Amino acid sequence: MDIKKVYNSKSVEEVIDILGEYGEKAKVIAGGTDIVIALNNNAIEPELLIDISKLEELKGIKVDKEFITIGSATTFTEIVESEIIDNNLYGLHKACKMVGSPQIRNKGTIGGNIANGSPAADSVPPLIALGGIVTLKSIEGTREVLLEDYYYNPIKEKELLLNIKFERPKDNQILTFAKLGLRKALAISRLTLSSFIEFDDNNTISFIRVASGALAKFPMREKELEDYLLGKILEKEIIEGAIEALRNSMDERLKGRSTLPYKRIAISTILREILEEALAFEEGVKAW
Amino acid sequence: MVDISITVNDKLYKISINENMRLIDVLRDELGLIGTKEGCGEGECGACTVIMDGEIVNSCLVMGFQADGSSIVTIEGLEREGDLHPVQRAYIEAGAVQCGFCIPGMVLSTKALLDKNPNPSDEEIREGISGNLCRCTGYNKMLEATKKAMEYIKGE
Repeated sequence: MDIKKVYNSKSVEEVIDILGEYGEKAKVIAGGTDIVIALNNNAIEPELLIDISKLEELKGIKVDKEFITIGSATTFTEIVESEIIDNNLYGLHKACKMVGSPQIRNKGTIGGNIANGSPAADSVPPLIALGGIVTLKSIEGTREVLLEDYYYNPIKEKELLLNIKFERPKDNQILTFAKLGLRKALAISRLTLSSFIEFDDNNTISFIRVASGALAKFPMREKELEDYLLGKILEKEIIEGAIEALRNSMDERLKGRSTLPYKRIAISTILREILEEALAFEEGVKAW
Repeated sequence: MVDISITVNDKLYKISINENMRLIDVLRDELGLIGTKEGCGEGECGACTVIMDGEIVNSCLVMGFQADGSSIVTIEGLEREGDLHPVQRAYIEAGAVQCGFCIPGMVLSTKALLDKNPNPSDEEIREGISGNLCRCTGYNKMLEATKKAMEYIKGE
């Protein structure tokens, strides 16, 4: 590490100005759970560090008529303890609860989970499934990007990730999540899936987004699976068919990868879990 | 160098630290509080756990300057007028301490859990210490120790 200057920033404006002036020489730090490791290993060598973890403007969960907005410096613990992120948003609660360990969740932030860009970021698949929109700001202006497109056009040197927002779910919509790790705590995800499903009055899936983690270079939508499930009723054969549909996508995407045979088998349990949780919700049973 | 004010074990320190220091470096190298251990340095083992503003954190993943204005409790802060904290006493009595390297962090995670939730279930205890790895005990002794500590704290 060769940091020359540090800032406990006082406002978003100040952070934007410093980033605008110093560009690649400056790095933003929030929870530090990824970046301090990178700094300590000299994997990145910024001259300036800007702490945003205490910026009230970037903290907390806000609800308005249309959207739920989570500030980028909101910690996983704050999300897990929030009454807003519950019931039909249970999948996001579950994902945040499964991140790392209590220590990591007390410090790690949702903005960091997105900006760090890990393919195994636990909170990202549920946020993609929700149709999340990321807001980034720099001295040049503000831009909004769908989280599912974000990874093709990620955060730039002078940008600060302000928040992620998604539409408030309706009563007939449910977000679910499941993770495969090698142990319960402190395990990087080998596989995650999250589904956002709307059921119509006839128990038919009338809207669906499914997102995966650790099945590609970054978390992404599983469109082949979505196309298969749309308009169907979640019966046993349909769930089996869904597993095959996802395996088809995986076979193409992960061709030649040593982990593919393992993930092909493991995916069935994880996919069954998210669909059965959605089904239980639809039948009025809380799966959790 | 950067100036910070930091309260550690109820004592206020106003110190100048190197910008590159992590919280664990400040505690160990600046303040001489070497009860806090560095295990992996990557947030995987929890040996460096301290309580920061009421919540457990890995002190190897917090930069020193980020702790400006914070209140920290380390293992040195648990003793009460020469006596052990109930959690420490319970750990010894339950035989939950073997090599001891994980213990400062483990004890602080247990204390923070009981501060927030005086009656945790077995599952909540296991969850509470899930960020602290121990390669000696297999965790059952910690579970036992935590239950003992619950009784001691209730009896106070």
